[in-house]
Amino acid sequence: MTACNTAIAQVDLTKVKPYGDTLNDGMVELAFTLPVPYGEEGSEAAKILAKKMGLDEPNVVYSKNMTDGYTFFVVYGKCQHTVDYTTIKVTKVEVDIMDRLECAQYIKDNIKREVVIVGASTGTDAHTVGIDAIMNMKGFHGHFGLERYEGINAINMGSQVPNEVLIQKAKEVNADAILVSQTVTQKDVHIANLTNMVELLEAEGLRDKVILVCGGPRISHELAQELGYDAGFGSHTYAEHVASFVLTEIVNRKMV
Amino acid sequence: MFLLEELSQKYKTISIVGMAKNAGKTTALNYLIEEAMDEGIVLGITSTGRDGESTDLVTGTDKPRVFLDTDTIVSVPTQLYELADAGLEILKMTEYNSSIGQIMLCRVASSGYVQIAGPVINASHQKMCEEMLELGAELVLIDGAIDRKSIAAPGTSDAIILSTGAVLSRSMKKVIEETAHTVGLYRLPVLEDGEDKDIILEHLGEERPMIVGNGDVRILDLTTGLGAGKFLDGQINESTEYIYVPGAFTQSVVADINPRKLKNVTFVLKDPTKIFIDSVSWGQLRKKGLTVKVLENINVAAITVNPSAPGGYAFEHEELLKGMQEAITDIPVIDVML
Repeated sequence: MTACNTAIAQVDLTKVKPYGDTLNDGMVELAFTLPVPYGEEGSEAAKILAKKMGLDEPNVVYSKNMTDGYTFFVVYGKCQHTVDYTTIKVTKVEVDIMDRLECAQYIKDNIKREVVIVGASTGTDAHTVGIDAIMNMKGFHGHFGLERYEGINAINMGSQVPNEVLIQKAKEVNADAILVSQTVTQKDVHIANLTNMVELLEAEGLRDKVILVCGGPRISHELAQELGYDAGFGSHTYAEHVASFVLTEIVNRKMV
Repeated sequence: MFLLEELSQKYKTISIVGMAKNAGKTTALNYLIEEAMDEGIVLGITSTGRDGESTDLVTGTDKPRVFLDTDTIVSVPTQLYELADAGLEILKMTEYNSSIGQIMLCRVASSGYVQIAGPVINASHQKMCEEMLELGAELVLIDGAIDRKSIAAPGTSDAIILSTGAVLSRSMKKVIEETAHTVGLYRLPVLEDGEDKDIILEHLGEERPMIVGNGDVRILDLTTGLGAGKFLDGQINESTEYIYVPGAFTQSVVADINPRKLKNVTFVLKDPTKIFIDSVSWGQLRKKGLTVKVLENINVAAITVNPSAPGGYAFEHEELLKGMQEAITDIPVIDVML
């Protein structure tokens, strides 16, 4: 077991570098297209660009003529920078993830009634992909949506729903949780829209009576909490993450 | 001027409310902390968001850090405790949670920079402030988050400090107008004592809209006033004097009410934070005859102005200060950058 015991075999988490053939060689692969003709000059341009990005010894290992005046490159180079991994703090939703069937059982065991969840893509956002991925029966990427969960009544109101209308619906059906999706928005309008939702809920006296969750590619749990939400779900989260959080929170907050 | 001493005699908790994101709430907080140090007042500091981190979560711009003097009582979540540069003595664990751990109440043992965060829900803030006062804070300052104005509600704190600044608009006139509008709303007239008020107070707990007139009350079968304009219109008759709306007061509550009926009634709200109507629409509705009174209004203890915006433009310090003072004559206006 001494074979790998070279001088740099010890990983130093305070100075992390990319790994290629050996530890800390900093090897990085880039793939990009430049609007230049295929040839020696093109490859040189790619190399210079990689150097400007902070890569040592850039090496064009592949180039291909895409069409007239455009060339695709694959460049290898050595990254000069390091990251201190030990100081990184990412705030995540801390909850034990249950799958669909476990969620159904959890509801039966601990909540003993139907859980009502209302969701929508709000404000100017016309994209339903986010809220559909979480709520629609067929779900997303092999993860079934909330509509298929036993014991959950999932109401998906679609896109461009004004905050007021979403709140009206939540009151009408006595929702346990409200899901707000913001997929594509311009100039940080999603921030103003998300805070407006919180403010309206506070004004309606509903904020401490519902679990308020937002989601979208530009949303992190940390941002969500700063905005006044209970949780935020970013990319690579599915219905079971949202369901697990909502169900656990219902029990924690004694909303059973 | 002993601003803090005056404030601490009148109020126990003060929220710092921003007109917009980056209006200078934290800068205002730092100004007040410095004043408190000079005047020897023990502060309690908490935040509805997170404070004292070096970069902004949304815009990536630099944010002011928060330096606390010894004896200050401060709310710090467990995960930010290690990041504090000040010496913190943990007084108690609270039951409140944030994204960055459970909230602890600490006393600053040796002064330094601290990152602050508090509970997410306003109702929890209220309770925590009481705990801070019990622990010896003479005045608790709650720093608001983003542009969330609901912490201005009378239930959360005794008074507010309104932070406004160049970030609102590139036009100084607009900045002053918008700020004056908000202050105007916060100081809406309180419903006079009398039979009608007693009736409203009596049924307040039902959290439903009600129609009051001639000593009579009709509780409406509505869970919310939102989108109920048409229904409300149908409920107004000759004897109607007041319409009480328990929740948010938006365009959709009043838009569908016939102007002739609108003129003859007075809307009654719990407090001014329930109003979600911008200054232009508000002006139009007022012209149509809208009258609004509140059960409780908001004490605006001071206004702070920040003449520079992170967008890279700035106003003349003196000009903005003078303009604001002329528009709002009876509240102290402070330039936090001077």
